[in-house]
Amino acid sequence: MVRQVKQKPMNWIEKLYIFEAFRGLYVTLKHALRGVFRYETLPTVPYPEQKPEINHAYRAKHRLMLRPDGSPRCVACQMCATACPAKCIYIEASTSADGRIEKSIQRFDIDHLVCVFCGLCVEACPVDAIRMDTRETSYVHRDRQSFITSMEELMDWDPKDYPEDDFQSQVAPGGKRNKEALDSWGLKVN
Amino acid sequence: MIEIIQSKHWIEWLINIAKFAFAFVPVLFILLLIPLERRGAGFIQDRQGPNRSYFRLPYFGKIRLFGWVHNASDGLKLFFKENYAPHGVNKLLFLLAPAIPFAVVLIAPAVIPWFAPMVFTFGEEVIRISGQNVNTDVGLLLLFAISALSAYGAVLAGWASKSKYSLLGGLRTTAMIISYEVCLGISIMGILLLAGSFRLDQIIAWQDAHVWGVVAQPVAFFCFLIAMIAETGRAPFDVAEGEPELVAGFHTEYGAMQFGLFYMGEYSHIGINSILVSILFFGGYSIPFVSTSTIQSNVGISLGVLAFVFVFAILAFLHLLYRYSRYLKKSSYANKSAILREYSLYKIVGWAAAALLLAAGVISIMYFKPAYTLIDGQAVYGIGVALGTAFIQILVLLAKAVFFCWVWIWIRWTLPRFRYDHVMNLGWKVILNVAIVNLVITAFIVKLIGD
Amino acid sequence: MSNYYDMPKLPTAESPKVAIFVDGQETFVPGDTNLLEALKAVGIETPSICYHPFLPVSGNCRQCLVEQEGPRGRSLIISCFTPVSPGMKVFTPKTSLRVKNARKATNEFMLVNHPLDCPICDKAGECSLQANYMESGHDSRLRENIGKHYHGSPDHAFIDSKGQTRGGKQVVLGPRVTLDEERCVQCDRCVRFMRFVAGDEQLQLASRGDSTYITTFPGQELDHEYDLCVTDVCPVGALTANNFRFQQRVWMLSRTPSVSMDDSLGANLWIDHNHGKIWRLMPRCNPEVNRSWISNTSRLAYLNFDKDRLEAAPIETLQSTVFAAKKVAIVAGGACTLEDLAAIKALQESLGAKAELFGGTSIPVVEPDGISKSGDPLANRAGFKAMQVPDANLQELLQKISDFDTLITIHSDLIGEDPTFEKLKQIPNRIVLSAFKDCTANAATLAFGVKHWTEVSGSMINSLQILQKLNAAPTAPNGDLKPAYQVLFALAGIEITEVSAAWKQVQDRIPTLKAYQRDSILSTGLKLEGVV
Ligand code: SF4
Ligand code: SF4
Ligand code: SF4
Ligand code: SF4
Ligand code: FES
Repeated sequence: MVRQVKQKPMNWIEKLYIFEAFRGLYVTLKHALRGVFRYETLPTVPYPEQKPEINHAYRAKHRLMLRPDGSPRCVACQMCATACPAKCIYIEASTSADGRIEKSIQRFDIDHLVCVFCGLCVEACPVDAIRMDTRETSYVHRDRQSFITSMEELMDWDPKDYPEDDFQSQVAPGGKRNKEALDSWGLKVN
Repeated sequence: MIEIIQSKHWIEWLINIAKFAFAFVPVLFILLLIPLERRGAGFIQDRQGPNRSYFRLPYFGKIRLFGWVHNASDGLKLFFKENYAPHGVNKLLFLLAPAIPFAVVLIAPAVIPWFAPMVFTFGEEVIRISGQNVNTDVGLLLLFAISALSAYGAVLAGWASKSKYSLLGGLRTTAMIISYEVCLGISIMGILLLAGSFRLDQIIAWQDAHVWGVVAQPVAFFCFLIAMIAETGRAPFDVAEGEPELVAGFHTEYGAMQFGLFYMGEYSHIGINSILVSILFFGGYSIPFVSTSTIQSNVGISLGVLAFVFVFAILAFLHLLYRYSRYLKKSSYANKSAILREYSLYKIVGWAAAALLLAAGVISIMYFKPAYTLIDGQAVYGIGVALGTAFIQILVLLAKAVFFCWVWIWIRWTLPRFRYDHVMNLGWKVILNVAIVNLVITAFIVKLIGD
Repeated sequence: MSNYYDMPKLPTAESPKVAIFVDGQETFVPGDTNLLEALKAVGIETPSICYHPFLPVSGNCRQCLVEQEGPRGRSLIISCFTPVSPGMKVFTPKTSLRVKNARKATNEFMLVNHPLDCPICDKAGECSLQANYMESGHDSRLRENIGKHYHGSPDHAFIDSKGQTRGGKQVVLGPRVTLDEERCVQCDRCVRFMRFVAGDEQLQLASRGDSTYITTFPGQELDHEYDLCVTDVCPVGALTANNFRFQQRVWMLSRTPSVSMDDSLGANLWIDHNHGKIWRLMPRCNPEVNRSWISNTSRLAYLNFDKDRLEAAPIETLQSTVFAAKKVAIVAGGACTLEDLAAIKALQESLGAKAELFGGTSIPVVEPDGISKSGDPLANRAGFKAMQVPDANLQELLQKISDFDTLITIHSDLIGEDPTFEKLKQIPNRIVLSAFKDCTANAATLAFGVKHWTEVSGSMINSLQILQKLNAAPTAPNGDLKPAYQVLFALAGIEITEVSAAWKQVQDRIPTLKAYQRDSILSTGLKLEGVV
């Protein structure tokens, strides 16, 4: 539906421009003087020294979720690699050692130089195996190769950094609910 | 040759040669203007502005000088970058073009009066030294003629770059400079009529004797200011660079210090123009209600007051520093100790400067009591008084100029760009006409009142 | 299961056209086939699971239902097993809600205990079940909380972390095939393939009802030469080929249609590749040639296509040797396309009397297996004949060794195929144009790497006189490699970079091909009359 936004027509003072220009000058002057005399009230923060609080919902560096036994939840379905618009996920699959699970990853690389942090991989994952809630927004390396994050790096996270009601994070080894999850996970296999 | 040398006293020679240093004042403005512009813009937009670079001092650590070091290093970077010319440009003109606006800003200050003509006794002789480098009757015309030359820089750059964007930018610059030079010329005719001279020192003298130009010719002042801003080619009149449509206008193909020269030329130009505005409409070096002779007879007190003004400014600055330091101590900034350490240097320097200036002011008030001789019924003082007066007047002029520089920046970061046709409309259909009407009315009044 | 089934009769260009009423509209369809194929011929796709055009029809899945109006009113029938009869009235989901619902119900029924682990199923993307689900409206009444229950072989059952009974996820059927019993929909296509096509009943449906599962006879395994074809016929992801299992997702692959150059039947292939690597070879349906079948040998050959490859050398080194030679023997090997042969002829012409042609292979010709192999290892033998390149005179070469001072072999591993050819080492200059570092290349004085037949565009004539096209898959390990014909034409002084130019050279040498543009040859080939 087309919505028409009616603009208030300008009155003649506004049309003269010059008075409106002065009004604008007044506004900017206020801001400039605020910067000089009340520097600390600037809404921007001096970044590397003061880091803003980042929410878990922010799309940051990826991590791979873990099963209670510490193996990756990922079933190597490549849905993320398929969804990825930047084609920066590289997966090699193999047969899983656990008889209840068919497929597992041999290799899972994300090239973070190519990644556009769109989060589509997270949306695509059918088993909640990949997440972008690490809150790591700046990671710096000296060479391009190091930006290709390997499976081990992606799996290297600590449940303590995540909220306690985040069940999926807490069932990982070291998490609050790891024990109970291990018990139900360890159902009989034959 | 000998006669020429002997025609002047050696002290006259010395001061006249020293006056050449004024040629570099607009260039020095750059050092002030770039930080002022970049951090000013930052604050206007609620940003921090550039403040990252620093140098290290032994105890105080990283010294950033409130972003000044950052801007200086940016300049340094430009300086050390490779000079690069795209394939197919006209090499000679391409290299020459950036030099023109920069050369102009070195020549233009020649006719600017920096202080009231000095008259002082030196030994037996009475020495007279004018406030300009070039003491000519067509001062203002010369200034306009020279500063309009800087258009050649843009035009040649546009032509030589062999790029459509550059060429269009160059063309727009030409069109705009032609249009606004006309407005510029006509808008100051009124004040010229009033002062009855093209000499800038005469114009100042008239304002000193009557009122500031801005009071006598408020309409002319606005026309002049707008035309001036347009002539420097800055926002809201930056159609010549026109980022949205012309990449960077005439200097699209320039990099490194060649671009730097354009950039510096632009800022120096602002410096010159601000000086000009303050001279034409704000009394130049004169202080309202305080004539040159008053300063001269009370030179000690004047210098003292000047020192106190500085002390006040420093104390205000220190107050801000202390207040911010208190805030920092409570904050969670990762580098707060480093910043506090840096600030301790400023505090030390500030307190020391305040103390020194205070002492100097007090001493000057108590002990600087000049002697004079009467010549033609006028009190003529010694060289100390003359130099002191000149010092005060230069500072007054520069203070006014710096304020106008801020006006330039302020306007740039407030008003949105005009479209090219709006610029031309404004120039030819509004400002020119207003200026002409203003000129006619002024002429009538001048004729009626007579002088 | 010893029912006797009929092979479906497929429509051909000659099929009589009969009028039937589809959704009330009079439609002309091929009259000598089943309803499913007839509808397909007029562009109406019918979902199917158990029907396969080259397997006998068993009609057990009921997915292909349509409605037919008969004397007792409209009833649901399976289209795969219903012959077309003139004037019959059928209804598709377009007009019949009943058909639509019936198909959907059938689909749901198949999905009841189906694991639906499509994300990790190798068939996903080319799975009939998925396609049917999407077609039937993809709004299943199946709910997650109902759970799955595996009824098959009790030996394979386990309880998963959600407490459901699951089972048979990775049942090893043989050295090459793995079975997922949960995904099997008991269509018995694999059983029919083994019984009717492979001719060796190695697979069976065991048990009955919803406990049915696929298995081999106790103590035996699935190890037929054509056993990988069961992974093709399996409409779902139940039977998977170990060579491709978990390697790639099918939608990430690009397909290049080509022809297998290891047998003179020239089995039609899909080369499935991505990122410059071949991931699998699949049979490409060609009713005249290999239908939908391909032998394991041809199918698995790709595993070595990128191994032991020869590097390209500057062509100048070749030129100097060839032009300095006094007497040259040129040997054309089995994988030579028509273009390669034309180039060989061109080279021979340019060398004049100095050159002598040889061709053929030492691998013995065996009996055709009746599925996808003619048994003749010289793939382009008909092409050799048409081009008048000798196709069986290698022994002559051995006898005349001393005549030659230079030997050029093209795609011919003489020594590897028959060690007696070691004697060729007496020839001082031995040039080998080959894709691989084979025995002949190792014995060469100058081994010149060229593209493998999967990487070149070309053509061949198979034993049925069908001209077939090869298309280049972009999988050459090295960008410097050129097709053999390009190198040979360059040696002969003809600059050719495009296969179309090479095809012109072929036409110049085989006048009967003059009439055919390369682009007009269908992917199923062109039946030639009287070329040879
Ligand atoms: S965030 Fe987007 S670009 Fe990055 S890996 Fe995921 S899908 Fe790819
Ligand atoms: S979508 Fe999830 S389960 Fe599938 S490969 Fe990616 S991370 Fe693994
Ligand atoms: S066979 Fe595989 S792809 Fe097809 S529906 Fe079942 S799990 Fe999905
Ligand atoms: S294994 Fe595949 S082909 Fe065989 S019966 Fe099951 S679904 Fe059909
Ligand atoms: S396809 Fe017709 S019954 Fe299976």
